[in-house]
Amino acid sequence: MTASIPGESETRAGSSHEVPRRRGRARGAVTLAVVAVLALTACGQRPSETAASDVDKPIVVGVSLPLTGDFAQPGGEAKRGYEVWRDMVNARGGILGRQVEIKITDDASNQDTVVADYTKLITQDKVDLLLGTFSSLLNYPASAVAEKNGMVFVEPAGGAPKMFERNFKYLFFAQPATAPHQADVFVDWIKSLPEADRPKTAAYPSQDDPFAQPVIESMRKQLEALGVETVYTSLYPADTTNFQTVASSIAGKKPDLIAQGAVFEDGVGLVRGLKQLNYSPKILFQTSAPSNAGQYSDGVGVANTEGVFYTVSWNEKASTPLNPDFVAAYTKAYSAAPAEDAADAFAAAQVLQAATEKVGSIDQDKIRDWLHANTVDTILGPLSWGATGEPKGRFLLAQWQSGKVEVVGPADVATTKTVVNPKPAWK
Amino acid sequence: MTQLVQAIILGLLIGGVYALMASGLTLIFGVMQIINIAQGAFLVLVAMLTWWLWQRTGIDPIVASLVTTPLMFGFGWVVYRLLISRIRGSSASMSVLLTFGFALVIEGVLNVVAGNRFRSAAPSYFEESYRVGDISLPKTQVFGFLAAVVVLGVLYFVLTRTWTGRAIRAATQNPSGAALVGVAATGTAALAFAIGSATTGVGGSILSVLYPFFPASHYDWISRLLGIVVLGGMGSLPGALVGAGILGLAETLTATYGSLGWSTLVFYVVIMVVLLIRPQGLFGAKLREDAV
Amino acid sequence: MTRLRAIPRAHLAAALVLVALLVYPVVNPWQPYPQAVMLLGFLLAIQASSWNIISGYAGYISLGHSMFLGLGSYTVGILALQWGINPLWIAPLGGVTAVVVAMLIGSVVLRTRGHAFVIITIAMLLAAQILAINSRGLTHGSDGITLELPFWSRDFQNIPFYYLFLGLLVLTVLFSAWLRRTKFGTGLVAIREDEGKAASIGVDTTRFKIVGYAASAFFIGAAGGVYSYYLTFINPVGSFTILGSVTIVLAALAGGRGTLYGPVVGAFLVQLAGEAATVYGGGTQSRVLLFGLALMLVVLFVPKGILPALQAWWLRRHPADVEYTDQAGALGRAPSTAHEPATAHVPAFAHEPAPGQDPAPAPEPAPGQGVVTVRERALERAEAAGRVAPGEVLLDVRGVSKTFGGLIAVDGAGLTVRKGSVTALIGPNGSGKTTLFNLVTGGMAADAGEIWFDGERIDAMRPWRRGHLGLGRTYQVTRLFKEMTVQENVVAPLPDSRWRTMFAGAVSGHEAARARELLDIVGLGRFAGQRAGSLSYGQQKLVELAQVLMLRPKLILLDEPAGGVNPSLLGRLTEVIRELNRGGVTFLVVEHNIPLVLELCDPVVVFSRGRPIAEGPPATIREDPVVLDAYLGDDWRPAPDDPPRDVTTREAVQ
Repeated sequence: MTASIPGESETRAGSSHEVPRRRGRARGAVTLAVVAVLALTACGQRPSETAASDVDKPIVVGVSLPLTGDFAQPGGEAKRGYEVWRDMVNARGGILGRQVEIKITDDASNQDTVVADYTKLITQDKVDLLLGTFSSLLNYPASAVAEKNGMVFVEPAGGAPKMFERNFKYLFFAQPATAPHQADVFVDWIKSLPEADRPKTAAYPSQDDPFAQPVIESMRKQLEALGVETVYTSLYPADTTNFQTVASSIAGKKPDLIAQGAVFEDGVGLVRGLKQLNYSPKILFQTSAPSNAGQYSDGVGVANTEGVFYTVSWNEKASTPLNPDFVAAYTKAYSAAPAEDAADAFAAAQVLQAATEKVGSIDQDKIRDWLHANTVDTILGPLSWGATGEPKGRFLLAQWQSGKVEVVGPADVATTKTVVNPKPAWK
Repeated sequence: MTQLVQAIILGLLIGGVYALMASGLTLIFGVMQIINIAQGAFLVLVAMLTWWLWQRTGIDPIVASLVTTPLMFGFGWVVYRLLISRIRGSSASMSVLLTFGFALVIEGVLNVVAGNRFRSAAPSYFEESYRVGDISLPKTQVFGFLAAVVVLGVLYFVLTRTWTGRAIRAATQNPSGAALVGVAATGTAALAFAIGSATTGVGGSILSVLYPFFPASHYDWISRLLGIVVLGGMGSLPGALVGAGILGLAETLTATYGSLGWSTLVFYVVIMVVLLIRPQGLFGAKLREDAV
Repeated sequence: MTRLRAIPRAHLAAALVLVALLVYPVVNPWQPYPQAVMLLGFLLAIQASSWNIISGYAGYISLGHSMFLGLGSYTVGILALQWGINPLWIAPLGGVTAVVVAMLIGSVVLRTRGHAFVIITIAMLLAAQILAINSRGLTHGSDGITLELPFWSRDFQNIPFYYLFLGLLVLTVLFSAWLRRTKFGTGLVAIREDEGKAASIGVDTTRFKIVGYAASAFFIGAAGGVYSYYLTFINPVGSFTILGSVTIVLAALAGGRGTLYGPVVGAFLVQLAGEAATVYGGGTQSRVLLFGLALMLVVLFVPKGILPALQAWWLRRHPADVEYTDQAGALGRAPSTAHEPATAHVPAFAHEPAPGQDPAPAPEPAPGQGVVTVRERALERAEAAGRVAPGEVLLDVRGVSKTFGGLIAVDGAGLTVRKGSVTALIGPNGSGKTTLFNLVTGGMAADAGEIWFDGERIDAMRPWRRGHLGLGRTYQVTRLFKEMTVQENVVAPLPDSRWRTMFAGAVSGHEAARARELLDIVGLGRFAGQRAGSLSYGQQKLVELAQVLMLRPKLILLDEPAGGVNPSLLGRLTEVIRELNRGGVTFLVVEHNIPLVLELCDPVVVFSRGRPIAEGPPATIREDPVVLDAYLGDDWRPAPDDPPRDVTTREAVQ
């Protein structure tokens, strides 16, 4: 018994030795601290003072994007959109005769980092212009930094209604409409149907997401006003992966219309669930899932995409100015069809470019005032804004037809007159 | 009524799969008192592997587990030898931190290699169902459940009928006694860890069909599995079965009759209630605290 | 911990760094970006320091600690909106919510020992996120809550936050330092080192853990309130992120878990490294991967943390001259030890001290007036506590049973110990003596039977309640808290359940003074500052006895006090036992050293197969054939010329 115990102690002899050594450490720490202070010291300028811009240098546009982490997917697309824009602008001589440089930092989908990034871009790197980031989770705190520092913040995403309740003056959302108005175009189409052809009953499952849920919510209210009976509503969490229970509850109610607030995978999941139950509604609407072209058709099977409606801010075939150039440049650079997120980013940059060129300088207040007063033509169509940066336009209503995407509304921008209605049964 | 029966059947089918996934975790804990936080990441890793195999060769995902299971067995063995065995003897919390770190590494590697997007394997039958009256039984769920039952059966057989299995069980119940009769503690531990990892071979294959996954999905899975294990009693295999059944049912029933939003919370509520009433879990008698 | 002694100098370094940090924004005011980096470092340091209280001191790892930041943010955000006031004025309410939630979770999870806690902390983090998403009325669900922009000029944008977080960090560190210097802090470390033992010396482990968990939540919650205003936006995904928790764990672990400044240093390392990776690292690498690798490397290679590792490295490189600062005091109180050459002891601890170095203050060489008075005072106190009336039954074990599976360890045993006695409990190995001890002190629950102590039924009480009633024990193999100093070991026990006792100082003050007195009684005052694990086994037994005395016990259960103790220390031990007994302390002794038993104890109870088979004065017992049978088996009959080895080794019956 004795033998096993004392072995403990051999390395511990010197517990009292360390006392005098602390002094050395203390001295080291002081030196370190002093060095740190000196190193970080730089003769600065008040954040409110703007430096006279050097007109020979390139215009630097600062962006922080979620290139890694949860939002890496849209973040990466946005980066491509911004870079396509930069290359196109520079090829045409830049802005105000100056070349454009984009300074992109990765915020790893983290709020702290996005705040630090924009603070750094504005106050340290002194970028000339800002562009927004992706997902409202990041745009909320990022736009606050821009607002604090009086920088125009054109965001390609972040259409949650609350974004525009903060009375920010430098914020502009570069998409045609905010979430609650996304569905208007679909409701208009329903209204255009003869009374007898309209759906009688509807089910409204939606992901609990700041973009998806308000779309479905506002659609439900508008359709209820039209007399469409609501037979099912549910809000499922973002991490829901099993849609069998939702699908079986919906199938039990046999609604004519299923309108789902679907971000992506949940849209595929519900279709699969419905197929397993062999329930096919007359009309199927999903918010953004079907816009992920290839991935969506892979997920549900091309045959099953037939007749699915969705709303979208941009269409590859649209004849808006520069759109064909954008699609060509993107396809050339990345050998893939551009995603909506990339187009939105491109459009945001177009907005900033137009204002800067019209104002003739990078004066943030002038750019802001100009944007509040004018309309900008983008690849998404014309964009204009209310006082808090809320766009006043409308989305496109798209539909999968024969394995391709067609715009079916509004009529003036439709790519086809045909509308598949009712949706054929699952294959 | 149909809805209720449907929900119960779905719940039990899901519960079977959960039981399989949790069995490895509880086995590892039982033998070496290590909570392998990376178990969820192992599942996602296998799911990714299965998906890749399925993409490349078109092999049925569940059949692919014939490949992934031995792989994971070896993987578990190596992980034990290289990582876990280094911290045997230090406090249990260190193993939690180590396996947590390892889970993050797996997530990170999958992020870099495979990208941060949802995937799911879709064999031909995956949108088909068996229909019994008004009840529909999705084939994927049924196959997944059957595979889980088979694997659990094999596991049971291995643990009760083979020398190795008995050695593992002996080590679970009485480590020092097992050592006395010649069961080498380290060897047994490595074996148990390897077997525990191997269960994710089938579990992950089923996951790849039943649930879309992406690298960070492992948090969802590990918290679910831990819930099952805490509920059933840590280290108890029958406990894991019962816990998985209860939580599978609780999940589908709340999703059907309550709201989906709250259905995940049910997991945590059940766990807290169990801990409040019966801190050792349903079958936790085995986890007797040693003499003070 | 040796750290305690060094605190003044470490504090000096910390204070100088603090001054530099305080001055920095004044020197360099128009740089919001470095300020932002620093203030996030402060925030992480607040979290890591707080985490350190429950997970570093008490050793209960929380993997969901960022939950408290989210709870604080939400509390403050919601209330600020409802009441229409600035979030900063109500930031402490965030801390209050965090504490309340920690208490609730803790009181469910921390009632038991073991692994459930770590699991539940992850689960609760995710549950909090689900709750925040679903309680739309309160939290606006997944939309999140937006707050107004700060009211001050954009020129000063981050400076107020910088000072707020810095202030909170200073408070957190001071709070943590203060806790560590109380008996509460000592108790937390005791729980980490050996929870069962802690419970047996009166540490109400449930209460300690819950309070520790709550204490680790407050400052994070308050910081969360400020943080919400800094971000101006709160949402479920961002507030309850598991990566946030990982960062906390990584920071505290990297710096040095269980140390005061380690988590702070670690937080700055992690924060600055993270920021550097963002700025210079390009956008391709996966942060999760780096975090995971860092966590694994730290666990595998510097499990104690960088700060302690550096310290150890430095000490190896620079073997320092020995400075027995603390022992000077001990020498003053125990003059007999002044003869010892101080330097000689350090290496000697690994082994039993050679006779010449016997650290026990033998009464002969020194007149030892001081020693005697101290001892007498202690004895008087013990007497006052005991109110001894010899002959009354103090401990009454009635029909107690305990089985392990098929093995019956204690079989309907009855036993009485009378006040003022030194009762011996002897019997062959495996006869259930130690199990009986465990049942009496509460380490195990009896399957059947009743145990009464001093007129109260105690068999359903938690171990620490029994300790508070005056029941103490030592262990067959000593169970000191090896990482703690000898003095901390002795100061750790709690003689009662009062909060005042719990928060009494452990480094200075009356409790610490009493611990030193007790150490002097067992003759080890000189070693107060040594790490307990570095003492010899015999010395550890004496320290364990001093530890038990701290409980002001009426009855002490000694489990093989003589086992593994060298003869000179054994003499010291019996002497102490006798003196304490004269002072009114009752003893129940399990011992195989029969001569010692016969010399020291009366009555002697013989245990066999889980129950007493004989009881009586030593003289009777040594002649009792039943006893001989029990010890040596049915087949053995005394053959005087041929004593089996068994008997000689145990110095048994003959």
